[in-house]
Amino acid sequence: MQLRIDLHSTGFEPLVVLTRWQDEQQHRSNVQSAAEAFFIGRVRGVAADGRELEALELEHYPGMTELQLERLALDCCNRHGVISCLVQHRIGRVLPGEAIVLVAIGADRRGPAQRCCQELLEALKHHAPFWKREWRADGSSEWLSGNTPL
Amino acid sequence: MVSVVFMAGPCAGEIRILLFAGLREQAGWAEQQWPANPNDDAGLTPRQLWLKLQLPGDLDQAVRVSINRQFADADTPLQPGDELAFLPPISGG
Repeated sequence: MQLRIDLHSTGFEPLVVLTRWQDEQQHRSNVQSAAEAFFIGRVRGVAADGRELEALELEHYPGMTELQLERLALDCCNRHGVISCLVQHRIGRVLPGEAIVLVAIGADRRGPAQRCCQELLEALKHHAPFWKREWRADGSSEWLSGNTPL
Repeated sequence: MVSVVFMAGPCAGEIRILLFAGLREQAGWAEQQWPANPNDDAGLTPRQLWLKLQLPGDLDQAVRVSINRQFADADTPLQPGDELAFLPPISGG
C-alpha cells in the first residue's frame, strides 16, 4: 500500500496535487488502481454563527498530528484492502474557497475506494489533532468545538 | 509544505505538559515542565496533574489526553520524560 501524507502551511491546488500523485502512481506501482475516490474540502465563506468569515486558522500538534494521520490512514486502508492513499491537509491561515483537505484513495473496486475515502475523512476530522478557529470580518474570533454534521 | 516536524522533548526527570488552541488560551500558557519527583509523584496521572495545575473545565467532558503523542487514558501513570498533552475538542478536515 502506498501512502503519502503532507501538511501544507500555504495554499495548495488539490487538482494539481492529485494529477501529480496519479502520475507518480502510474510510474511507481506494478498494481494499477481501477477505481479512485477523492474528497476535496474547502473553507466556507460563512462562520458557524452565520456571520461573514474572514479566514479559518488551523492549529495542529506538530509531531502527533503527522503520526496520528499515518495511524488512521494505515488502519483504514488495511481494513479496506486499498492500493494507495493520499492525504493533504492545510495548517495555518486558510481563506474562504481555499482547499483545507484532500483525501484520495486508489483501489481495485469502487466500493472499497469510496468507503475508505469516506471513513478516513471522518476519522481524521475527529481523531487527528487539528483545531479550527474562525476569524470573522469584524475582527472577532472563536475556536470551534466540533465538526459540521455529515 | 511540512512533512515532518520535530519538537524538543522533555528534560530527563521532568514531564513536559502541552496545551493547545482554546484550552491554551483559557489557561494562559502553552507549555510547562513538571519536575517529577520519584518520591512524591510516583504513579502521577494526567487527571491528577489537571487538578494540580488548576486547568479550566471538566477533563472528562471535552478534553482528550495524549502521552508521548498517542491518545491515552487520563488515569495512566506518567513516567519522567513523558510528553503529556491536553487536547480540546478536535475539528480537523
